[in-house]
Amino acid sequence: MSTLHVLSHSPFTDSRLGSCLRLCGAQDAVLLCGDATYALQAGSAPFQALQAKALDVFVLAEDAQARGLSLPDWAKSVDYPGFVQLSIDHDKVNTWL
Amino acid sequence: MSRSLLVISRQAPWSGPSAREALDVVLAGGAFDLPIGLLFLDDGVFQLATAQDAKALQQKDVTANLQALSLFGIDEVFACSHSLAERGLSPPDNAQPLSSEQISQMIDRYDQVMTL
Amino acid sequence: MKFAIALFSAAHAPSSRRALQFAQAALAGGHEVVRLFFYQDGVYSASNSVVTPQDEQDIAQQWRAFVSEHQLDGVVCIAAALRRGVLNNEEASRYQRSAVNIDAPWALSGLGQLHDAIQDADRLICFGGP
Repeated sequence: MSTLHVLSHSPFTDSRLGSCLRLCGAQDAVLLCGDATYALQAGSAPFQALQAKALDVFVLAEDAQARGLSLPDWAKSVDYPGFVQLSIDHDKVNTWL
Repeated sequence: MSRSLLVISRQAPWSGPSAREALDVVLAGGAFDLPIGLLFLDDGVFQLATAQDAKALQQKDVTANLQALSLFGIDEVFACSHSLAERGLSPPDNAQPLSSEQISQMIDRYDQVMTL
Repeated sequence: MKFAIALFSAAHAPSSRRALQFAQAALAGGHEVVRLFFYQDGVYSASNSVVTPQDEQDIAQQWRAFVSEHQLDGVVCIAAALRRGVLNNEEASRYQRSAVNIDAPWALSGLGQLHDAIQDADRLICFGGP
Protein backbone atom coordinates (compact mmCIF):
# COMPACT_ATOMS: atom_id res chain seq x y z
CA MET A 1 0.00 0.00 0.00
CA SER A 2 1.27 3.45 -0.82
CA THR A 3 0.19 6.95 0.10
CA LEU A 4 0.84 10.17 -1.79
CA HIS A 5 1.42 12.90 0.81
CA VAL A 6 0.60 16.38 -0.46
CA LEU A 7 2.11 19.40 1.30
CA SER A 8 1.61 23.11 0.64
CA HIS A 9 2.93 24.89 3.77
CA SER A 10 6.43 26.34 3.92
CA PRO A 11 8.70 23.91 5.81
CA PHE A 12 10.47 26.88 7.40
CA THR A 13 7.45 28.03 9.42
CA ASP A 14 5.51 24.84 9.88
CA SER A 15 5.91 21.31 11.28
CA ARG A 16 3.93 19.42 8.63
CA LEU A 17 6.89 18.27 6.53
CA GLY A 18 8.70 16.98 9.63
CA SER A 19 5.66 15.01 10.82
CA CYS A 20 5.03 13.72 7.31
CA LEU A 21 8.58 12.43 6.90
CA ARG A 22 8.37 10.77 10.31
CA LEU A 23 5.20 8.88 9.32
CA CYS A 24 6.08 8.14 5.68
CA GLY A 25 6.20 4.49 4.70
CA ALA A 26 8.83 3.08 2.33
CA GLN A 27 6.33 2.97 -0.57
CA ASP A 28 5.04 6.49 0.00
CA ALA A 29 5.71 9.58 -2.08
CA VAL A 30 5.59 13.30 -1.38
CA LEU A 31 4.16 15.96 -3.67
CA LEU A 32 5.29 19.48 -2.85
CA CYS A 33 3.10 22.34 -3.98
CA GLY A 34 2.66 25.98 -2.99
CA ASP A 35 5.14 27.18 -0.39
CA ALA A 36 6.09 23.57 0.44
CA THR A 37 8.23 23.69 -2.72
CA TYR A 38 10.64 25.90 -0.76
CA ALA A 39 11.79 22.61 0.80
CA LEU A 40 13.79 22.19 -2.42
CA GLN A 41 15.92 25.23 -1.61
CA ALA A 42 19.40 23.71 -1.95
CA GLY A 43 21.46 23.51 1.22
CA SER A 44 18.51 24.03 3.57
CA ALA A 45 17.57 21.67 6.40
CA PRO A 46 14.26 20.58 4.75
CA PHE A 47 16.19 19.87 1.52
CA GLN A 48 18.60 17.63 3.41
CA ALA A 49 15.78 15.91 5.32
CA LEU A 50 13.96 15.11 2.09
CA GLN A 51 17.13 13.89 0.40
CA ALA A 52 18.07 11.70 3.36
CA LYS A 53 14.64 10.02 3.42
CA ALA A 54 15.19 8.76 -0.14
CA LEU A 55 11.53 8.53 -1.10
CA ASP A 56 9.86 9.60 -4.32
CA VAL A 57 9.63 13.39 -4.30
CA PHE A 58 7.40 15.20 -6.78
CA VAL A 59 6.90 18.92 -7.18
CA LEU A 60 4.10 20.82 -8.88
CA ALA A 61 5.86 22.44 -11.85
CA GLU A 62 4.01 25.78 -11.77
CA ASP A 63 4.86 26.37 -8.11
CA ALA A 64 8.57 25.62 -8.55
CA GLN A 65 8.68 27.79 -11.67
CA ALA A 66 6.86 30.69 -10.01
CA ARG A 67 9.39 30.65 -7.18
CA GLY A 68 12.42 30.36 -9.46
CA LEU A 69 13.54 27.13 -7.82
CA SER A 70 16.05 24.89 -9.53
CA LEU A 71 15.20 21.27 -8.91
CA PRO A 72 17.60 18.58 -7.72
CA ASP A 73 17.73 15.44 -9.87
CA TRP A 74 15.86 13.45 -7.19
CA ALA A 75 12.73 15.63 -7.46
CA LYS A 76 10.40 15.06 -10.41
CA SER A 77 8.32 17.89 -11.77
CA VAL A 78 4.63 17.24 -12.57
CA ASP A 79 1.85 19.28 -14.17
CA TYR A 80 -1.84 18.85 -13.26
CA PRO A 81 -2.43 15.79 -15.48
CA GLY A 82 0.69 14.37 -13.76
CA PHE A 83 -0.82 15.19 -10.34
CA VAL A 84 -4.01 13.35 -11.33
CA GLN A 85 -1.93 10.37 -12.47
CA LEU A 86 0.04 10.33 -9.19
CA SER A 87 -3.22 10.20 -7.23
CA ILE A 88 -4.21 7.15 -9.27
CA ASP A 89 -0.80 5.46 -9.01
CA HIS A 90 -0.98 5.61 -5.21
CA ASP A 91 -3.64 3.88 -3.14
CA LYS A 92 -4.64 7.04 -1.34
CA VAL A 93 -3.82 10.71 -1.08
CA ASN A 94 -3.11 12.35 2.27
CA THR A 95 -3.17 16.13 2.00
CA TRP A 96 -1.69 17.84 5.04
CA LEU A 97 -4.31 20.59 5.24
CA MET B 1 -18.06 -3.31 2.45
CA SER B 2 -17.90 0.32 3.47
CA ARG B 3 -14.68 2.20 2.79
CA SER B 4 -12.81 3.14 5.94
CA LEU B 5 -11.62 6.66 6.69
CA LEU B 6 -8.85 7.75 9.04
CA VAL B 7 -9.22 11.32 10.25
CA ILE B 8 -5.98 12.84 11.54
CA SER B 9 -6.68 15.81 13.79
CA ARG B 10 -3.63 18.03 14.31
CA GLN B 11 -5.11 21.30 15.56
CA ALA B 12 -5.13 22.51 19.15
CA PRO B 13 -8.63 22.70 20.66
CA TRP B 14 -8.82 26.45 21.32
CA SER B 15 -7.49 27.85 18.03
CA GLY B 16 -10.81 28.28 16.24
CA PRO B 17 -13.40 25.85 14.89
CA SER B 18 -10.88 23.57 13.17
CA ALA B 19 -10.60 20.89 15.88
CA ARG B 20 -14.36 20.82 16.36
CA GLU B 21 -14.98 20.59 12.62
CA ALA B 22 -12.52 17.68 12.36
CA LEU B 23 -14.42 15.93 15.13
CA ASP B 24 -17.71 16.65 13.36
CA VAL B 25 -16.44 14.72 10.32
CA VAL B 26 -15.71 11.76 12.61
CA LEU B 27 -19.06 11.91 14.43
CA ALA B 28 -21.00 12.25 11.16
CA GLY B 29 -19.24 9.14 9.84
CA GLY B 30 -20.07 7.30 13.05
CA ALA B 31 -23.71 8.33 12.76
CA PHE B 32 -23.79 6.62 9.35
CA ASP B 33 -22.18 3.49 10.82
CA LEU B 34 -19.06 3.93 8.72
CA PRO B 35 -15.68 2.54 9.77
CA ILE B 36 -13.88 5.67 11.01
CA GLY B 37 -10.61 6.00 12.87
CA LEU B 38 -9.38 9.12 14.67
CA LEU B 39 -5.73 9.93 15.29
CA PHE B 40 -4.51 12.91 17.28
CA LEU B 41 -1.21 14.19 15.90
CA ASP B 42 1.01 17.23 16.50
CA ASP B 43 -0.94 19.95 18.38
CA GLY B 44 -4.06 17.76 18.06
CA VAL B 45 -2.90 15.82 21.13
CA PHE B 46 -3.65 18.94 23.21
CA GLN B 47 -7.32 18.02 22.72
CA LEU B 48 -6.64 15.08 25.03
CA ALA B 49 -5.11 17.12 27.86
CA THR B 50 -6.85 16.86 31.21
CA ALA B 51 -8.20 19.76 33.30
CA GLN B 52 -9.21 21.91 30.34
CA ASP B 53 -11.85 24.53 31.05
CA ALA B 54 -13.89 25.63 28.05
CA LYS B 55 -15.85 28.10 30.21
CA ALA B 56 -12.74 30.26 30.64
CA LEU B 57 -13.11 31.18 26.96
CA GLN B 58 -16.93 31.01 26.88
CA GLN B 59 -16.61 28.04 24.52
CA LYS B 60 -18.42 24.77 24.19
CA ASP B 61 -16.49 21.85 25.64
CA VAL B 62 -14.74 19.87 22.89
CA THR B 63 -13.73 17.20 25.39
CA ALA B 64 -17.45 16.44 25.92
CA ASN B 65 -17.63 15.63 22.20
CA LEU B 66 -14.64 13.31 22.61
CA GLN B 67 -16.60 11.39 25.20
CA ALA B 68 -19.43 11.04 22.67
CA LEU B 69 -17.16 9.12 20.27
CA SER B 70 -17.98 5.70 21.69
CA LEU B 71 -21.71 6.53 21.60
CA PHE B 72 -21.27 7.07 17.86
CA GLY B 73 -19.50 3.73 17.50
CA ILE B 74 -16.04 5.27 17.11
CA ASP B 75 -13.71 2.93 18.98
CA GLU B 76 -10.54 3.44 16.97
CA VAL B 77 -9.10 6.47 18.73
CA PHE B 78 -5.33 6.92 18.74
CA ALA B 79 -2.71 9.45 19.76
CA CYS B 80 0.80 9.89 18.40
CA SER B 81 3.31 8.98 21.13
CA HIS B 82 5.94 11.24 19.60
CA SER B 83 3.59 14.25 19.63
CA LEU B 84 2.59 13.52 23.25
CA ALA B 85 6.20 13.21 24.43
CA GLU B 86 7.27 16.31 22.51
CA ARG B 87 4.63 18.30 24.41
CA GLY B 88 5.28 16.75 27.81
CA LEU B 89 1.88 15.03 27.92
CA SER B 90 1.29 11.67 29.59
CA PRO B 91 -0.39 8.89 27.60
CA PRO B 92 -4.15 9.70 27.73
CA ASP B 93 -6.92 7.42 29.02
CA ASN B 94 -9.18 8.03 26.06
CA ALA B 95 -6.83 7.34 23.13
CA GLN B 96 -4.37 4.56 22.39
CA PRO B 97 -0.78 5.84 21.98
CA LEU B 98 0.97 4.68 18.81
CA SER B 99 4.58 4.93 17.66
CA SER B 100 5.43 6.56 14.33
CA GLU B 101 5.98 3.09 12.86
CA GLN B 102 2.56 1.92 14.06
CA ILE B 103 0.91 5.05 12.65
CA SER B 104 2.57 4.48 9.30
CA GLN B 105 1.16 0.93 9.22
CA MET B 106 -2.25 2.16 10.34
CA ILE B 107 -2.46 4.72 7.51
CA ASP B 108 -1.86 1.79 5.16
CA ARG B 109 -4.81 -0.13 6.62
CA TYR B 110 -7.40 2.58 6.00
CA ASP B 111 -8.93 3.15 2.57
CA GLN B 112 -8.84 6.95 2.76
CA VAL B 113 -7.19 9.48 5.01
CA MET B 114 -7.99 13.10 5.81
CA THR B 115 -5.52 15.25 7.77
CA LEU B 116 -7.15 18.35 9.23
CA MET C 1 -11.37 6.63 -11.85
CA LYS C 2 -13.93 8.33 -9.61
CA PHE C 3 -12.71 11.29 -7.54
CA ALA C 4 -14.31 12.96 -4.54
CA ILE C 5 -12.76 16.40 -4.12
CA ALA C 6 -12.95 18.25 -0.81
CA LEU C 7 -11.90 21.88 -0.54
CA PHE C 8 -11.06 23.59 2.76
CA SER C 9 -9.90 27.05 1.68
CA ALA C 10 -11.32 30.34 0.40
CA ALA C 11 -11.17 31.42 -3.23
CA HIS C 12 -8.21 33.74 -2.56
CA ALA C 13 -6.04 30.85 -1.28
CA PRO C 14 -3.71 29.25 -3.85
CA SER C 15 -5.08 25.84 -2.82
CA SER C 16 -8.57 26.75 -4.10
CA ARG C 17 -7.16 27.42 -7.56
CA ARG C 18 -5.07 24.24 -7.27
CA ALA C 19 -8.21 22.19 -6.52
CA LEU C 20 -9.96 23.70 -9.53
CA GLN C 21 -6.99 22.94 -11.80
CA PHE C 22 -6.89 19.36 -10.48
CA ALA C 23 -10.63 18.89 -11.06
CA GLN C 24 -10.33 20.27 -14.60
CA ALA C 25 -7.38 17.97 -15.33
CA ALA C 26 -9.27 14.97 -13.93
CA LEU C 27 -12.25 15.57 -16.21
CA ALA C 28 -9.97 16.28 -19.19
CA GLY C 29 -8.28 12.94 -18.51
CA GLY C 30 -11.60 11.13 -18.82
CA HIS C 31 -12.13 10.67 -15.08
CA GLU C 32 -15.24 11.37 -13.07
CA VAL C 33 -15.70 13.86 -10.21
CA VAL C 34 -18.49 12.31 -8.16
CA ARG C 35 -18.85 15.32 -5.89
CA LEU C 36 -17.17 18.52 -4.80
CA PHE C 37 -17.55 19.10 -1.09
CA PHE C 38 -16.59 22.50 0.36
CA TYR C 39 -15.90 22.44 4.11
CA GLN C 40 -14.43 24.81 6.71
CA ASP C 41 -13.13 27.95 4.91
CA GLY C 42 -13.83 26.18 1.61
CA VAL C 43 -17.38 27.54 1.87
CA TYR C 44 -15.95 30.97 0.88
CA SER C 45 -14.86 29.49 -2.46
CA ALA C 46 -18.57 29.12 -3.29
CA SER C 47 -19.50 32.67 -2.31
CA ASN C 48 -20.93 34.83 -5.09
CA SER C 49 -20.05 38.01 -3.16
CA VAL C 50 -16.36 37.83 -4.00
CA VAL C 51 -15.16 40.83 -6.02
CA THR C 52 -11.63 40.48 -7.42
CA PRO C 53 -9.64 43.30 -9.03
CA GLN C 54 -9.98 43.23 -12.83
CA ASP C 55 -6.38 42.10 -13.38
CA GLU C 56 -6.72 39.14 -10.98
CA GLN C 57 -8.33 35.76 -11.45
CA ASP C 58 -11.84 35.36 -10.04
CA ILE C 59 -11.55 31.81 -8.73
CA ALA C 60 -14.99 31.75 -7.09
CA GLN C 61 -16.51 32.68 -10.44
CA GLN C 62 -14.36 30.07 -12.20
CA TRP C 63 -15.60 27.43 -9.76
CA ARG C 64 -19.21 28.40 -10.49
CA ALA C 65 -18.64 28.26 -14.25
CA PHE C 66 -16.83 24.92 -13.98
CA VAL C 67 -19.54 23.28 -11.87
CA SER C 68 -22.30 24.62 -14.12
CA GLU C 69 -20.60 23.66 -17.36
CA HIS C 70 -19.97 20.08 -16.30
CA GLN C 71 -23.16 19.79 -14.24
CA LEU C 72 -21.18 18.60 -11.24
CA ASP C 73 -22.57 17.88 -7.81
CA GLY C 74 -21.29 20.89 -5.82
CA VAL C 75 -22.09 20.65 -2.12
CA VAL C 76 -21.24 23.26 0.51
CA CYS C 77 -21.36 22.17 4.16
CA ILE C 78 -24.33 23.94 5.69
CA ALA C 79 -22.98 24.12 9.26
CA ALA C 80 -19.61 25.49 8.13
CA ALA C 81 -21.36 27.96 5.80
CA LEU C 82 -23.77 29.29 8.44
CA ARG C 83 -20.90 29.80 10.90
CA ARG C 84 -19.05 31.87 8.26
CA GLY C 85 -22.02 33.88 6.97
CA VAL C 86 -22.31 32.13 3.62
CA LEU C 87 -26.07 31.83 3.17
CA ASN C 88 -28.46 30.88 0.41
CA ASN C 89 -31.88 32.43 0.08
CA GLU C 90 -33.57 29.83 2.26
CA GLU C 91 -31.08 30.14 5.15
CA ALA C 92 -30.98 33.94 4.95
CA SER C 93 -34.74 34.12 5.42
CA ARG C 94 -34.70 31.39 8.08
CA TYR C 95 -32.19 33.36 10.18
CA GLN C 96 -33.39 36.81 9.05
CA ARG C 97 -30.10 37.88 7.48
CA SER C 98 -29.99 40.52 4.74
CA ALA C 99 -27.24 39.05 2.55
CA VAL C 100 -27.63 36.06 0.26
CA ASN C 101 -24.24 35.06 -1.14
CA ILE C 102 -24.62 31.54 -2.43
CA ASP C 103 -26.97 30.10 -5.02
CA ALA C 104 -27.01 27.60 -7.90
CA PRO C 105 -25.06 25.58 -8.91
CA TRP C 106 -24.15 25.09 -5.23
CA ALA C 107 -26.29 23.18 -2.76
CA LEU C 108 -26.05 23.55 1.02
CA SER C 109 -26.12 20.19 2.76
CA GLY C 110 -24.62 18.20 5.63
CA LEU C 111 -21.45 16.23 6.28
CA GLY C 112 -23.28 13.06 5.29
CA GLN C 113 -22.74 14.19 1.71
CA LEU C 114 -18.97 14.12 2.26
CA HIS C 115 -19.08 10.58 3.62
CA ASP C 116 -21.43 9.51 0.85
CA ALA C 117 -18.95 10.85 -1.73
CA ILE C 118 -16.03 9.07 -0.02
CA GLN C 119 -17.98 5.81 -0.22
CA ASP C 120 -18.77 6.37 -3.88
CA ALA C 121 -15.31 7.46 -5.05
CA ASP C 122 -12.07 5.57 -5.71
CA ARG C 123 -10.05 8.47 -4.32
CA LEU C 124 -10.67 11.28 -1.87
CA ILE C 125 -8.52 14.31 -2.68
CA CYS C 126 -8.45 17.21 -0.23
CA PHE C 127 -7.18 20.73 -0.91
CA GLY C 128 -6.67 23.45 1.66
CA GLY C 129 -4.21 25.68 3.46
CA PRO C 130 -2.00 27.97 1.42
